[in-house]
Amino acid sequence: MMGRAPTRDEKWLAWALWVLAFVALLLTESAVGFTRDESVYFAAAEGYASWFRLLFHSPTQAFTDAAIVRAWDYNHEHPALMKTLFGLSHLLFHDGLEWTRSATAFRLPAFAFAALIPALSFLFGSALYGRTAGLFAALAFMLVPRQYFNSELACFDVPVAAMWLLVVYCFWRALEDVKWGVWCGVAFGLAIATKHNALFLPFVLTPFALWRAWTASEGRPEARTWLLRFVGLFAAVAVLYGWLLVSLGGGEDFQKKFLLLSPHTLLFVGLAAGGAWVLNGLKKVDGPVTRALVPVLAMAVLGPVIFYLHWPYLWHEPVERTAWYLAFHAKHNHYAWFYLGTLLREPPFPLTYVVVKTALTVPTSLFVPMVTGLGALAARAVLGLFARTRAWVARPVTLTEALVGVNAVTSILIISHPQVPHFGGVKHWFPSMVFLGILAGAAVARGCAALWDVLKAKRPALPFAVVAAPVFVVLLVPALVYSVRVFPYGTAAYSELAGGLPGAATLGMQRQFWSSHVTGVLPWINEHAKPGARLFLHEVHSGSFRDYQRNGMLRNDLRPVGSPFDADIVAYQYHQEFREQEFQTWQAFGTRTPVTGLYLDETPQVIVYVRPEGR
Amino acid sequence: MRSPSFLRALPLVELGGLVLVALLCLVFHLRLPGHLPSEGDYRAVAERLKAEARPGDAVLLFPWWTEHARLFVPPDVPVYGYLGSDRDDLSAHPRIWVLGQPELPRSDEDGFLATFLPERRVVGTPVHEGPLSLALYENGRYRPRRFTASDAYAKARVYLEAQDGTRRDCPFDGQAHRCPGPNYLYVAPEWHELFYEPRRCLWMHAPGGPQRLVAEFDGIPGGVGLRLEGGIIWEQAHLKDARLTPAYLGVDDARSGVRLLEVVVPPGLEGVQKAEVRLPEGEPRTVKVWVQSDNADRRQVCLDVLAVEPAVGVR
Repeated sequence: MMGRAPTRDEKWLAWALWVLAFVALLLTESAVGFTRDESVYFAAAEGYASWFRLLFHSPTQAFTDAAIVRAWDYNHEHPALMKTLFGLSHLLFHDGLEWTRSATAFRLPAFAFAALIPALSFLFGSALYGRTAGLFAALAFMLVPRQYFNSELACFDVPVAAMWLLVVYCFWRALEDVKWGVWCGVAFGLAIATKHNALFLPFVLTPFALWRAWTASEGRPEARTWLLRFVGLFAAVAVLYGWLLVSLGGGEDFQKKFLLLSPHTLLFVGLAAGGAWVLNGLKKVDGPVTRALVPVLAMAVLGPVIFYLHWPYLWHEPVERTAWYLAFHAKHNHYAWFYLGTLLREPPFPLTYVVVKTALTVPTSLFVPMVTGLGALAARAVLGLFARTRAWVARPVTLTEALVGVNAVTSILIISHPQVPHFGGVKHWFPSMVFLGILAGAAVARGCAALWDVLKAKRPALPFAVVAAPVFVVLLVPALVYSVRVFPYGTAAYSELAGGLPGAATLGMQRQFWSSHVTGVLPWINEHAKPGARLFLHEVHSGSFRDYQRNGMLRNDLRPVGSPFDADIVAYQYHQEFREQEFQTWQAFGTRTPVTGLYLDETPQVIVYVRPEGR
Repeated sequence: MRSPSFLRALPLVELGGLVLVALLCLVFHLRLPGHLPSEGDYRAVAERLKAEARPGDAVLLFPWWTEHARLFVPPDVPVYGYLGSDRDDLSAHPRIWVLGQPELPRSDEDGFLATFLPERRVVGTPVHEGPLSLALYENGRYRPRRFTASDAYAKARVYLEAQDGTRRDCPFDGQAHRCPGPNYLYVAPEWHELFYEPRRCLWMHAPGGPQRLVAEFDGIPGGVGLRLEGGIIWEQAHLKDARLTPAYLGVDDARSGVRLLEVVVPPGLEGVQKAEVRLPEGEPRTVKVWVQSDNADRRQVCLDVLAVEPAVGVR
């Protein structure tokens, strides 16, 4: 397994893909409604940006815990990197330069992160399987409607997928260039500052680093000794932390006594210093082994440091507040979720949920190459294990391919655990989808190459592009049609395999979530609501109501209310778990007949009722 | 050893498969719009319903979720379409119009008819407006109603009844019988969800403790089936918290005190619970409809009591 620097052409193409994705997202974002979470993040971002204003005007005051808590306490269940960027972008492009509407300014950093995915997928895919594979992977990611929809949002799910890919890419590049090992640590720090999913990355990457170091040190006793010292150091620190935990009487006391000057900190400093000393010694005897291990130490040391530094909320109370943050996600609520005709409310959830949901939402013309790509990789790995079948495998599976394969299934396996919350559609395993896209690219590329080989026998001058271009068109156009058809209602997207939205409705799948589809009825409400009408936008966060008005999507005279009984107009969002609220509207308005609605391919999404005159 | 030739051919086979799948996907997207009804199709169906529907008729949607039709169906014709409505007897309706979209992806018309058709008979020829189909059925599961508590609620006498029989009245204010105590203690017909099914039923929240919330109705005819249908509404029903207690729903004969019907709804039991007894022939009687639960928390009961004749069957 070796990394490879991109060629000049590849770099240009990667930049072009980044620009293409960024511009596409920018040009289409205004149609996308504000999801429940997004409006929370908008508010958080503004609060965080206000702290930067304070920092500029009154730095001494800004660093006090009181000032920090005032600005950063809101939504501290998520780290602050993206929200800080959203806030600073808003400060610059909306408040300062006035170039964009408010929501666009918040979303710009999310576009920049999302656009990294096609660019990096191309670079990684190209290095592994050739440019055809890389290009297919890049385009495929953005042509999955739910992925494109999520890329539009000022949220964290696509950014953390981008960061996950970046960390893996840096890790892989580190194997040929030691400085990428340090970048891997930096990227990991930023990844965990993006969302907690990234905390799993060291568990995915370290076995590859150790395997690479072990194989590279074969027959090199000195290097092997340094490798064992490195492993021994980490093991010793882990044991000492464990001993500290037990001797201090458990988690709570361990946490209380974790101070700046404490054994806990000393162990961390010892790990950093000891690790650096080992790698310095190793560097003198073996480059490849050193390069394999640098990312491990960089992640272990730079990760926590960057995480701490990026989040002012942690500065005065790092341990207690980090512990709260981790505990929050360890015990996350379960939200009701409709799946194959059953309302899932609590664990255990079906083991096959993630695979089924992926199959029913990713365009089938992209899902199938993902499956064959992953299947072929797995088959080659299995066939390569046995002497009798080894010769059948033209090219043994490399560790880099294994790295891609493992990352393609990691997030899927984590979320598949029956005790893990299963809400949120497909967004929680986006990191896997990036790597599945690369494997899909590999499947398409090898098919194109095989066809080209056959055709070249008759027409030796036939350019490869003449084969690849039509294949791309045939495979990508259905996904494009599907994307255009469902846009901007991304959480309603269901694939051909599901039978589209109607098929998914009959299957009993979650019709939509996150409330952003209300944009489909806002123009009607703006046109027909009487002045000052009381509006119950079911499921829409109060912050989103404000944001629709702030961004000119909802009349400013309309007033939000919290119940159909207080409303003149109700826009009910069809959720299986919220049926009662539509019937409350019947009760409150004395009618079961809606006046309009958003019906996507016949599936009710948002249903609008108006209180009859005199009621 | 060289790899077998079929392995070398696999990438071509794989590509062929991918292209075939993609072409099928494209066909799916090209055909889908043709399976979706236009507003004109809906209006044509609505016109037909307006002209031919009789009082007491109902519309049943197939597939169940195709509620777009609600925008167009005349408001005086009730529309049924909820998860499980295929199985609904629709026993209040002698005739049912099935408004179907059999061409929608994954619409299983045979499966629907297998559930829907028993005890029903198609009347006339179904009509088609675009991809919409409208077929009229005679409903053999229709049970003529002689009494419906949720319709007669205004004349009921409502009170809280302690274990020793003492009563506290819940006076009628023109809309509801409101009891002393928490504001949820009242009796009135309301729309609520019972396991996805919309029901207009009598809101009778259990008062808590040994006392019962009672609604007394006069004039229940003899020689008919007395039927109790009810349950806990919405998301309160599925909760299985150990602090919650079963809700008891019952109907007693007011004069003799004999228990005519009783339904127990333990925590976690969702849906409409039903019980029926055949009343002997005789003079109309007065019945006491009641609810009780030791812990009132989340025992949001909605129920109805009906006096019904036997199902008419298919003629």
